[in-house]
Amino acid sequence: MKRFTKMVYKDSDDMVFGHAKFPVSQHWNTQIGAGYVVPEIKVAPVEGSEETKEGMVSECRNITQSACERAVSIGLPAFMVEQEHIFQQTNNPDWTAECTQVQSETLEKYYDEYDIRVSLLATPADIRIEERDGLRGSDYDNKIMESVEASAANGASCVAIETIGGKSVSDYGIARGDPKAILFGIGVLGSIDMEYMWKRIVDVCRKYDCRPAGDTDCAQANTAMFLAGGLLDKDCSHTLAALARAMAGARSLVAVECGAIGPLKDCGYENPIIKAISGVPIATEGKNAVCAHSDLMGNLSAAVTDVWSNESVYHREEMGGTTPEVWLQATGYEAALMNTAIQTGQEKILRDLYTLTDKYRDPQALVLAYDNAYRIGEAIVKYGKDPYLRARAAALEAGAIINEAVESKKMYLTRFERDSLDHALNIFEALPTESEQFTDDCIRKYSRKISEFDPKSYEL
Amino acid sequence: MSYDEFESKMDQNFVAVRYNVEVEGAAIKPEEDLDVQNSLPTDEPFRSIALSVLYEDRDASLANVQKALKDKIPPIEIINNGLMKGMDAVNILYNKGFYFLPDLMLAGDGMMEGIKECEKVLGHKSETKGTVVSFVAEGDPHDIGKNMVVMFLRAGGFEAIDMGRDVPIKDVVNAVKEYNPLFMTGTALMTTTMTAFPKIVNEIQKEGLEVPAIGCGGGAVRKDFVESFPMSVYGVEAYHAPKLAEAILKDKKTWKDLRKEYSEIVGEFVSEYS
Repeated sequence: MKRFTKMVYKDSDDMVFGHAKFPVSQHWNTQIGAGYVVPEIKVAPVEGSEETKEGMVSECRNITQSACERAVSIGLPAFMVEQEHIFQQTNNPDWTAECTQVQSETLEKYYDEYDIRVSLLATPADIRIEERDGLRGSDYDNKIMESVEASAANGASCVAIETIGGKSVSDYGIARGDPKAILFGIGVLGSIDMEYMWKRIVDVCRKYDCRPAGDTDCAQANTAMFLAGGLLDKDCSHTLAALARAMAGARSLVAVECGAIGPLKDCGYENPIIKAISGVPIATEGKNAVCAHSDLMGNLSAAVTDVWSNESVYHREEMGGTTPEVWLQATGYEAALMNTAIQTGQEKILRDLYTLTDKYRDPQALVLAYDNAYRIGEAIVKYGKDPYLRARAAALEAGAIINEAVESKKMYLTRFERDSLDHALNIFEALPTESEQFTDDCIRKYSRKISEFDPKSYEL
Repeated sequence: MSYDEFESKMDQNFVAVRYNVEVEGAAIKPEEDLDVQNSLPTDEPFRSIALSVLYEDRDASLANVQKALKDKIPPIEIINNGLMKGMDAVNILYNKGFYFLPDLMLAGDGMMEGIKECEKVLGHKSETKGTVVSFVAEGDPHDIGKNMVVMFLRAGGFEAIDMGRDVPIKDVVNAVKEYNPLFMTGTALMTTTMTAFPKIVNEIQKEGLEVPAIGCGGGAVRKDFVESFPMSVYGVEAYHAPKLAEAILKDKKTWKDLRKEYSEIVGEFVSEYS
């Protein structure tokens, strides 16, 4: 496996939305990162549809058809449908096959009739449970791979997943403000598990006309971000969440190293870091994902995106139509603004305005501003061959970025944020420089404390 | 115009205000807070035990408890007058916004370490205010919300039976039979796993059993969905769980009362109940 030890982008200013160094071509004449931004729509199946295969197939058809209807009604030149599997879909690969097939046929019909560029991203659920038969070779593990294959074989343009390796340890660390556990969970265990999953996913996709897209550290860095919550929440420090995000950049990069080509998955807020390193196109989400959750970077996350997503929404009716219609319209109009900027040569101005609206709203937004994301990328590739050292370097660089902004009186921190940042940086600076020593130490410490954590799941 | 030029032109407060920085007060030692002072024991060894919990020091908590047990202090007194008093102080600071979730989790770890040591001497589980059963819905592996609920309940003096994640419906029903809980909490991240909640209620009813309320919450769970079946209450924040349990225990509130009086019971504005 090739590890990144150099940046593909040579200057952060070269990064902009709608353009990636290595665009991706998919069937139905869709390109990602090839000079235009593609809007994405994702809708969670309604409760009750999981009871039968017929119910789920019908739900998937309805979601896709609604999106297609609205896309042509408002004149979108291109769009992507993502179907994030529910447990029952992945656990029953025959459901996956039929759902993907019906979605693929629906999209193709509109492609044939209107020449609209369409894309179908299938995202099997990572249903593995560490304390139940481990992460490797369990029945759940096998079902995931069967579902990946069923997606690829039945017309998905690309496949993504949100792998959960290391989550038991990072959850422990996030809830207790333990930076070492977060580094071990994301940087070491997460990276090991991604390699295990992604080598197999890439092999499966290559057998079909289906692209291996990418991963996201939803299970870990997003847990920190959501617990950190809004400015007045007090469950996780926003500075620690920012460091977790930087580490996630080192971890989610593994998918690309295994052969994923993008777009990297929308809820991976770390994606700008990986785009800077690897040049692959990315999906992101922000202000048009408020239907799913609140973040503190609604505009900033659009700055270097290639696919602009709504994240997720209940399948139901709103005043403006059903949610696949309404939220595709929202992402579609935002993509239209970005594409207008590209056409008129104003894309870097819009990129900078997007960035500056949120850059100092929150430490995590600060470290993900494209210029800072680039710096974190540089820190990662400097130690590119070692997943532990590069995640640690990413966290230290993120800390330096926050501290510089504080010193220049652009970023203001609370006492909780200040204390937890100092605490984390002190710990990271004192950690061993040998990966093996760090891993052995963490296995000893966290095996005792976290009953779900099983080193064997990572072949440790 | 370059990015840097744009940035130098901007007044950040014009577009984003960090209210948290503005509202958070000056730092004080935890035991200097007046309410904490009133809640902490003054006599030893209880004060040291309580302070080790307040300072989130698991090792010190264990060492202090072991020393007290060696000095023949009754384990029940160690729990009630030392460990629980320390946790009460932690709760005071959490509710005031001086302590944060990591403080509560670490202090909770220290308290539980001490309680386990006392239970070894007692030879049985220590008495709690009541039992609550907590689970994550079948098919759902997301358990950090449930872990928080469990910790808040334990910190509030309840015994929380942690059933883990992806818990089959029949196991939840069996737990109701086994523990006869004061209250149950179920969490789910996905729309299609939260459907386990009404099925559980249905099975409980079929068995002729009753549980005062099942508090349902988590990522995708909605109030209108939770209120579409009986026995259930939509839980908004993990730290509300012990307050709901107290209301059931002390004020004999039913699930219908909890739905009606949620904001009053948890003592704050809750937009979902406004």
